[in-house]
Amino acid sequence: MIRINLQPRNAWQQKVEELGFGFHSTEGTYWDESAAYIFKLKEIEAIETATNKIWEMCLEAVQHVIDNKLYTQFAIPSFMIPYIEKSWNDDVPCIYGRLDLGYANGQIKLLEFNADTPTSLYEAGIIQWFWLQEFDAKKDQFNSIHEKLIAYWGYLKPYLHEGILHFSCVKESLEDLTNVEYLRDCAMQAGLETKLIFIDEIGWDSNTQQFVDVEDESIKNIFKLYPWEWLANEAFGQNIVADKNNTHWIEPAWKMLLSNKAILTILWNLFPNHEYLLQTNYIANGMTNYVKKPLLSREGANVSIIKENNLIEETKGEYGEEGFVFQEYMNLENEFGFTALIGSWIIGGEAAGIGIRESKSKITDNTSRFVPHYIEH
Amino acid sequence: MKKSKHIQLVLITALLASCNTKKETEWSEGNKKVYLRSDSTAPYTRTHSPLLWYFAFRSFGMMNNGRYVHGGYHSNAIHPQSNFGSNGFKSNVSRGGFGRSGFRTGS
Repeated sequence: MIRINLQPRNAWQQKVEELGFGFHSTEGTYWDESAAYIFKLKEIEAIETATNKIWEMCLEAVQHVIDNKLYTQFAIPSFMIPYIEKSWNDDVPCIYGRLDLGYANGQIKLLEFNADTPTSLYEAGIIQWFWLQEFDAKKDQFNSIHEKLIAYWGYLKPYLHEGILHFSCVKESLEDLTNVEYLRDCAMQAGLETKLIFIDEIGWDSNTQQFVDVEDESIKNIFKLYPWEWLANEAFGQNIVADKNNTHWIEPAWKMLLSNKAILTILWNLFPNHEYLLQTNYIANGMTNYVKKPLLSREGANVSIIKENNLIEETKGEYGEEGFVFQEYMNLENEFGFTALIGSWIIGGEAAGIGIRESKSKITDNTSRFVPHYIEH
Repeated sequence: MKKSKHIQLVLITALLASCNTKKETEWSEGNKKVYLRSDSTAPYTRTHSPLLWYFAFRSFGMMNNGRYVHGGYHSNAIHPQSNFGSNGFKSNVSRGGFGRSGFRTGS
């Protein structure tokens, strides 16, 4: 993996906006085509293999947590536990997730798994694909996100309840709306009937004990870009388990286990010293170079990096109430002084493509830039 | 090849590109006129945006004794006079029980 500098396309802002990508420059530059990362095919194949293997290991880890009732490690509300188990045993449909991988010196390591509400899907699946068409259409890219999404929505169709598949997110975030509408676009192309509803507009009908949309139409299947830990702790949280429709929430509730950093300790205990894992515990456990992460946090908030027992970088935020994990530090800074992280997409249980986020800081957060990539055969 | 062979978008391009369009242009003359209202008790107003469903029908209401009382729907794309009204038929439905934990969820 090497990084090159490039001349951005003329009027690139207009070009990406025409694709519906309206948040390319929020909080500074986000989409950054003044650079690109180049991979050799064997490197991409290694990332693909690692992604598929880690996904398998994650599924084993979920089964292990459920079999051994390790929920207290995850700070999950007790009323959700039977619901999580049911969603796992019923094999409630899931569509996607994003592994954040460190890649340096030929090593691939899992940093964390954004299993519940991953974003940057549109940048990875669409924006960098169209960028490559202009840059050099003959070049390859690890990116079959779009066709895999359409294919898997189509595959899931018979497993959904009859009726509409609703899509939901907060109304205040164009980024969230873009991700949700992209997923909905793919579902429509797969032949599903869909409808958008903002998360705060979801209604609860106390007579019929079911969730309804703004036209009071029953919600039976819903993709939500809204974290399970938020849903569970809000006013309607208890209604999820009381719901007479037994609505399919996508991603399903068992993803609460994978999106929680506690899963990193479970994985380390199940697969100690595995080539794709970094040592992770609930205490620093003798490590002198490590990253302290909250069990639940978003966009790199409340993360601290400790090297030689000294704090070298930290981010602020509101997370950490549920506890922390301590993960062995992996230096991802490249020769250009950028820290690059690979977001490896899993769609329908298969590796589907990557997106790269880079920053000058060591912690990838909501100001890190999305940089396109291609494969040099 | 590891990339998608062909990409077609049926919904998102037009929809989200419109989010960057100044609303003033949506009221220009010479387009088809659509009349709508946010609630059956509210007056109609005119708009022409084909993407109105995105902007329209934002729920509004208020908290009363800890319960969210649905007041109707609000849209920035239609005239304020149309953003009034209520509908007692929906009284068994409460809203606003989700969505208070954050304004963006990206991870």
